[in-house]
Amino acid sequence: MGIPVEEAIKQVQTMDRNVLLDARNVTMQFGGLIAVNDVSLQVHSGEIVGLIGPNGAGKTTFFNCLTGLYKPTFGTVTFDGKPLPPKPRMVVREGMARTFQNIRLFHNMTAIENVMVGMYTRTHTSAIDAVFRLPRHRHEEIASTRRAQELLEFVGLTGVGDTLSRNLPYGDQRRLEIARALATEPKLLLLDEPTAGMNPQETRQAEELIFKIRDLGLAVLVIEHDMRFIFNLCDRVSCLVRGAVLVEGPGEVVQNDPRVIEAYIGSPATPPAPTTDSAGGAADA
Amino acid sequence: MDLFFQQLINGLSLGALYALIAVGYTVVYGIVQLINFAHGEIFMVGAFGAYATWMVMGQPANLSVGMALGVVLPLMLVGGVVSSVVVALLTERVAYRPLRNAPRLAPLISAIGVSVFLQEFVRLFYGTIPFVTRIPGWPDAKSAVPFPSISGISDASVQIGGVLVQASALFTLLALVVCTVFLWFFVNRTKTGRAMVATSQDPDTARLMGINVDRVIVAAFAVGAGLAAIAGVAHGLRYGNIDFRMGFLAGLKAFTAAVLGGIGNINGAVVGGLVLGVVEALASNYLGTTAWKDVWAFALLILVLVFRPQGLLGAKVVDRA
Amino acid sequence: MNTVIPDRIKIAYRYPARAVGAAGALLMLVSIFLPWAYGTAALDDMSYYGAPSPLQLCFGVLALTVLALLTIPLVGKQRLGKWAKVLAWNTTAKTASITALITAAIAVTSVAVELGGLLNVEIGGWLVIFGGVAAVASTLFLPDSPEPSLDEVKSPKWLQILAIVVLMAVALFAAAFALGQVDAGAFLTFGSFLVAVVMVLRQFGVFGWLGMAAAANNRVLVISAFVVAFLFPFTQNGSNANMSIAAQVLIFAATALGLNIVVGLVGLLDLGYIAFLGAGAFTAAVLSESAYSHFNFHPPFIVTVLISGLVASLLGLIIGAPTLRVSGDYLAIVTLAFGEIFRITMNNLDGNDGPDITNGSNGIPDIPDLNAFGFNFGQPHVILGIDIGRFANYYWLMLLVIALIIVVFTNLNHSRIGRGWVAIREDELAAEAMGVNTFALKLLAFAGGAFLAGVAGAVKAHHDVSVTPDQFIFLESAFLLAAVVLGGMGTVMGVLIGATILKLLPEKLRFFSDYRLLLFGLLMVVMMRFRPEGIVADERRQLEFHAEDEELAEEVEEELITHKAHLNPEREVFEL
Repeated sequence: MGIPVEEAIKQVQTMDRNVLLDARNVTMQFGGLIAVNDVSLQVHSGEIVGLIGPNGAGKTTFFNCLTGLYKPTFGTVTFDGKPLPPKPRMVVREGMARTFQNIRLFHNMTAIENVMVGMYTRTHTSAIDAVFRLPRHRHEEIASTRRAQELLEFVGLTGVGDTLSRNLPYGDQRRLEIARALATEPKLLLLDEPTAGMNPQETRQAEELIFKIRDLGLAVLVIEHDMRFIFNLCDRVSCLVRGAVLVEGPGEVVQNDPRVIEAYIGSPATPPAPTTDSAGGAADA
Repeated sequence: MDLFFQQLINGLSLGALYALIAVGYTVVYGIVQLINFAHGEIFMVGAFGAYATWMVMGQPANLSVGMALGVVLPLMLVGGVVSSVVVALLTERVAYRPLRNAPRLAPLISAIGVSVFLQEFVRLFYGTIPFVTRIPGWPDAKSAVPFPSISGISDASVQIGGVLVQASALFTLLALVVCTVFLWFFVNRTKTGRAMVATSQDPDTARLMGINVDRVIVAAFAVGAGLAAIAGVAHGLRYGNIDFRMGFLAGLKAFTAAVLGGIGNINGAVVGGLVLGVVEALASNYLGTTAWKDVWAFALLILVLVFRPQGLLGAKVVDRA
Repeated sequence: MNTVIPDRIKIAYRYPARAVGAAGALLMLVSIFLPWAYGTAALDDMSYYGAPSPLQLCFGVLALTVLALLTIPLVGKQRLGKWAKVLAWNTTAKTASITALITAAIAVTSVAVELGGLLNVEIGGWLVIFGGVAAVASTLFLPDSPEPSLDEVKSPKWLQILAIVVLMAVALFAAAFALGQVDAGAFLTFGSFLVAVVMVLRQFGVFGWLGMAAAANNRVLVISAFVVAFLFPFTQNGSNANMSIAAQVLIFAATALGLNIVVGLVGLLDLGYIAFLGAGAFTAAVLSESAYSHFNFHPPFIVTVLISGLVASLLGLIIGAPTLRVSGDYLAIVTLAFGEIFRITMNNLDGNDGPDITNGSNGIPDIPDLNAFGFNFGQPHVILGIDIGRFANYYWLMLLVIALIIVVFTNLNHSRIGRGWVAIREDELAAEAMGVNTFALKLLAFAGGAFLAGVAGAVKAHHDVSVTPDQFIFLESAFLLAAVVLGGMGTVMGVLIGATILKLLPEKLRFFSDYRLLLFGLLMVVMMRFRPEGIVADERRQLEFHAEDEELAEEVEEELITHKAHLNPEREVFEL
């Protein structure tokens, strides 16, 4: 099992860091269907937290509750010490940005324009500034363009600023979505299946990118199916099954929890297979 | 109090008219999420089709009630329904189907074009062989055309207490009842009807299940057009004349009715129509002068969209971002 | 048309085809020196031997073009050098002969219609059709040329600027000439000639080059366009009829440009937009010194304009604030209902059904001419010996308004706000999730567009002299929408062209005025089916309408890179 000392250090660190996102007893009901049932989750600043669970476990719904897209039926979400504002754009302004499971870029805009849309909340050019081409417009445009270029380079998209996002290869589109989310200057980044459809090499690059983002001081909450990816990456993992938290804890703990394995591949007739991660991957495919 | 009941019955019969048209909006919207802007014109075409049938029959007038109600009126209804359905299906084929995968703005603009085109086509060419000659004896549709009077309906009325009920109002209400029963049967008891429900819930899955979605869409347009044509005849009987512009306002009101009841919901369209008719009748009597009656209807539309966009009975699809 | 004749045959018969085609072109050229009509009354009098009428001369240009396109390549590839590939000789020859034939056919048909039968068509008329058919038939046998690439050829700056200026001057001349045609057949023939010239230039590759030159010298383009538009009244020498049409076109175009912000940039369908024009017009009328106005407050015009704009945008806010949340197609219907409410209300504010403000259906007549900037707009002037009438004054005022609207339109489009609008159009939910205040941006477009329409309405009130509710019916809104759709959603140039076509054609072609709406309805359906992006396509819009077209996506990307529309904050203020 894990090395106790490192574990201890990690716990101390976690306690020291302030709680960035605090979701308590979040429940989301659609008519008679309870999609998310009494889920609590904390994310501390500078932490990478994973959210796993079989298809239909309510992960994305939970994401939507966190980003203001849905208003939870019960429960509270606190972000950065304040209650979560009711609208997605206000949530963005507070410092939480997300990507989408099925890529939702602005397809007929270029890569750099996509990123610049992400800066909307952080720029202040008004209609008057724009119409009369006042200094604020000019300065902000220059600064935004430069910043967007940097962000594109940061996520590894050099030289494609003028490419329409629909013309980008799939993997690049995922990165562009991350760049766009980073442009909102978030404190917490929510990634919804960032490696879906990627090959192993791209997945590794995505992993590096997420570490790089963490090193900038951002917290990351990531939904993923790829078990190897998630256990490499995350400080803590929470497993959601049928809308409720099944297990939460450090990667190794969750990884070896028989209930998690059962949730993914069903109740074992024979003792559980030792290679959990590949089994998990197979369940998804 | 008699005045109130008088207005109530007026409102109900007016509402029945709206309801018959509204079904067309709602059925089509439920399946293809298209506001068939030209539906008001389909209603107008139905009225003119019925009139044409009457002309072809040799303008029978002064008939016995039995002849009028048993032969002439049914034939006029059939003629109206046929012309409406044909025009609606042509419209669907030419103006909507090619745009099914286009951005949502495209079919809507196309529909506006169809709407203007149909109005103008009737205005310019009704009663003519286009660009060749005017058919002798046929009226010019550039001004209002007097609708034939049907013995037993046009001139009859029933006195209930202090309330006078026109036979045309009873006809409209009866038509609504019959059509609603027919619709219920169609949707719940026929294969096509069930395919329609399935398609409106999930077109892709419906297609995978072997439903011919094109045919379902055609059926939706046909059903809506048929009911609109019946409404067209009812309109002619009620007001005594028809004109090429009548579809615009009636269409807009009927759309309001459909939204009021919850667009995509057939029962909703019926309820919405009746409610709108009553509100309009009562409001024009108790709020300001009758010159404002259309304003109340449109104000209701805006209020509903703002405060209860899913309508009174709930819509299938409300806000498609 | 490319597949009708196999390439094998095309290659084998290319020389005979060229010869026959050239002969046909020569025949057309000769025919302009022959009479086309037996009577003098048709078109611009084509009944003389040896003395071509202006329209025949125009046609001669087309015939000469066909001849040149067919014969010049005969000098051989070596001598043509790079021009052999840069220009699309064969395809253009085909286009030129087809459009020439159509133009000739229109002219001959007009002669026949106006003089009462084909008997009145003279020898030249038959010859020109014969030559045209020969040219078209033979050019079908020519192998297709590759896409022209003139826009990649380097050219000196002075040449580009010169080309733009010449183009603008020609445009001015053509517009004046077209408006001067009283005869409907002559107008149609000349219109067809203009379309032919544009299509030939486009096919040949010249338009690609001009587009490049225009993008590179935007300021020159804009300034020369405005100079030309400013000079236009001087070509009319006091003709009030034409200047009135021109002023009406500008009022219509200004309103359509305002609508284009809402429809073209944000993608919201507004079917009641005419109400904002009406709000502006009624406000200006009520505040004017008309004896029928019931108000005693008559501010100077500049204040009236502002109040009109503000009233209109207030209406925009009132209607937009509750309904823009609903979004989707509902908005179209709600705005339509709102437009009707506006009209009915204006009708009812007559003292019987409501307070007396607008005199009901009679409206407010006798609105005096503008008296602003120390200048009475009703007063004719003589400048440089040329009569400048009342309508020319309003024309210039509207030109100013249009300039304002274009500045607002393009500068908003190329800014943080414009990007937000595109994002809303593309994916509203994703835009909201990226922090874009979609509601505020939509409301801004709605109220801003309404403001501009209100300003145009204020001028309209004085120009029209009277304002009545029935000027603001739904059909007018549909017409505005048609101008935007026809011209090209999201473009300035397109909407100007669309508005001109929709307003000018019915004025000039009185005989079809009864079929105007019928054709207009048909046009909307046909446009949506075959060219939803309009005459002048906005690149991004084009992609939205043709989502599956990968090739187009690549092209548009190149376009965007060359224009660098989004990356240049110093970008010039105007853009056409």
